[in-house]
Amino acid sequence: MLQASSDELEEFETDSESQTRPVIETRGLTKRFGTVTALDHIDLTIRAGEFVSVMGPSGSGKTTFLNLISCLDTPTEGSYLLDGIDVSTFTEKERAVMRRERIGLVFQQFHLIPYLNAQENVMLAQHYHSVVDAEGATRALERVGLADRAHHLPSQLSGGEQQRVCIARALINEPSLILADEPTGNLDAKNEHLVMELFSELHREGRVIVLITHNPELGRRTDRTIWFEHGRRVRRASEAA
Amino acid sequence: MFTRLLQQSFRRDWRRKLLAIFTIVLATTLMTALASLSIDVGDKMAREMKAYGSNIKVVPKSDSIPLTIGGVNYNPLSGRDYLNEADLPKIKDIFWRNNITGLTPFLTLPVTLGSAEDDHVPLIGTYFHKLMPVEGFDNFFTGVTVTHPFWQVTGTWPEEDSLDQVLVGETLAERQGLKPGATLTLTSAEGKSRNVTVSGIVEASEEEAGGIVAPLALAQDLAGLSGKVGSVSVSALTIPENSLSRKARSDPSSLDAQQYDTWYCSAYVSAIVHQIEEALPNASARPIWQVADSEGVVIGKIQLLMAVVALAAFASSAMAISSLLNTSVMERSREIGLMKALGASEAAILSLFLGEAVIIGIIGGLIGAALGAGLSQIIGLTVFGATITFPGVVVLVVVIASILIALAGSVLPSRTIAALAPVETLYGRR
Ligand SMILES: Nc1ncnc2c1ncn2[C@@H]1O[C@H](COP(=O)(O)OP(=O)(O)OP(=O)(O)O)[C@@H](O)[C@H]1O
Ligand SMILES: [Mg+2]
Repeated sequence: MLQASSDELEEFETDSESQTRPVIETRGLTKRFGTVTALDHIDLTIRAGEFVSVMGPSGSGKTTFLNLISCLDTPTEGSYLLDGIDVSTFTEKERAVMRRERIGLVFQQFHLIPYLNAQENVMLAQHYHSVVDAEGATRALERVGLADRAHHLPSQLSGGEQQRVCIARALINEPSLILADEPTGNLDAKNEHLVMELFSELHREGRVIVLITHNPELGRRTDRTIWFEHGRRVRRASEAA
Repeated sequence: MFTRLLQQSFRRDWRRKLLAIFTIVLATTLMTALASLSIDVGDKMAREMKAYGSNIKVVPKSDSIPLTIGGVNYNPLSGRDYLNEADLPKIKDIFWRNNITGLTPFLTLPVTLGSAEDDHVPLIGTYFHKLMPVEGFDNFFTGVTVTHPFWQVTGTWPEEDSLDQVLVGETLAERQGLKPGATLTLTSAEGKSRNVTVSGIVEASEEEAGGIVAPLALAQDLAGLSGKVGSVSVSALTIPENSLSRKARSDPSSLDAQQYDTWYCSAYVSAIVHQIEEALPNASARPIWQVADSEGVVIGKIQLLMAVVALAAFASSAMAISSLLNTSVMERSREIGLMKALGASEAAILSLFLGEAVIIGIIGGLIGAALGAGLSQIIGLTVFGATITFPGVVVLVVVIASILIALAGSVLPSRTIAALAPVETLYGRR
């Protein structure tokens, strides 16, 4: 395990990526919880069209990082530009606007509303974004292969199906960024494959995807992997090779 | 979508919603009943208080300081002033005529009973339940049964206007061993005599206990004072005295024109007394302050008590709603976290909970108003023996009040919602 300076990492990114527009740019991004430093001066650029995986041991700060870039949380220090906008000083209200306008979230726990059916769960995201459109919601469910399950409650769906509803919900408002925290953590291999296929497809359509995973197999299927350890970015031997 | 969320929230959590509605129903039932009662109660209470006696006494002007010993007026009969029986309906024709519930004339004279020549007892002539012709009131029955409802008769009341039937006071009856059906010969100081039958024994106040109560016509006949009346007891519905009426009481001429109008057009006992004196120029009317004062004070206190109870009901149900909503907010914190993560504004989430509160308030308020209307009728019937006039505006006020209860109860839970951070709730750190 090697710890790399941020310059080195930046060079590495520059080398491997064509120079497209940066979507996510963090500089010295730091998050502390009391005395615990969950994230320690992260410098990172993710550009348009990238499919990036985030890996690292448990407690290394992956979720904390994702919460910051998804505008769910504010950094203790450092800056974060999303689509060139500095959101690190945004109020909760402004961050809510960023979330609904630009970000699609996929959770390990799905977080579907149990008393709304699949279609309505998708429509909820439309509701808070603009106006509900049942047809649009049905099309999003078709995309993830659940057209025939639109009127089922989450409890009537398998874990994989629930996760696909969650992805449909993340897609519905056409976000520029899809952020997923261990989306396949609760799924079996078959469903994991299905979900990964969906992400790859979305990536091919030109969306930026950031995926946290513990599965190196999935990591290999992304453009590049960012490694975290003890709240810092590190370069992994496997990555360097 | 909003309605769907509301609908689902009610369907899923109906027990708690029902409980919240029930709390509101309880409070609004109480509030409705109390509100309609306290609107109607002044009148009802005043009528009820009338059971304890009339509250105004009218006497001839010269007779304001009567010489009475042991209930018998020893002013010589001749040379005294009297009121005219024919003028009595004028009392029921004053500005506050509707508040005059009864008026009873009295004419008292000493008589001797046939059996004991030198024993003078007072004979009190009066109305029992007499139809008095008054313009605008077709069925104005008045007499002691109206103004002195506590009088109780064993046997029967004498016939109105009869000249040979009397009631005997209880102590006199006991002393003389008189029972209903006994006969007596009454002789007045003027030397007139009449044979009468005792129709019943009366339990009234001290004055009547040792005397005889007769129809007014009989007393007039024995006294040789046809068409004359010694005094009149009046029952009037009055409102509590205040500084204005007290000022008027000491000197009506001290009021300016506007104050005078206000006073004259309010049912203060002093205003009614004033108007009786206007109607009967040779009479002097005096409130019996004890009854009149305590009446107003008691009614005022009861209305205050009702207001306090209604307020307590309001506050406690608001608190109950608050804790119910608060637990539901806590239980739904993940849901709220998700909504926030999806970019829902705080207002959007709050409106969901406030919408629930308003629906609970409306349903609870309507049910409560209906139950309260029923309850006030039951109270009216059991306590006052009369239906309560139910003012429709109470329904509106109560529904608005219950929406306010629900909203007041939502204030604290709303703060909890505002404080929920999506990161913490989504990852179950809370
Ligand atoms: N709200 C918080 N309060 C205190 N400490 C926190 C909080 N959130 C995260 N941490 C700490 O920050 C560190 C990073 O946590 P994070 O959840 O980002 O790890 P992770 O890489 O996502 O782990 P995992 O793979 O297990 O999900 C951990 O040590 C954690 O205990
Ligand atoms: Mg994590």
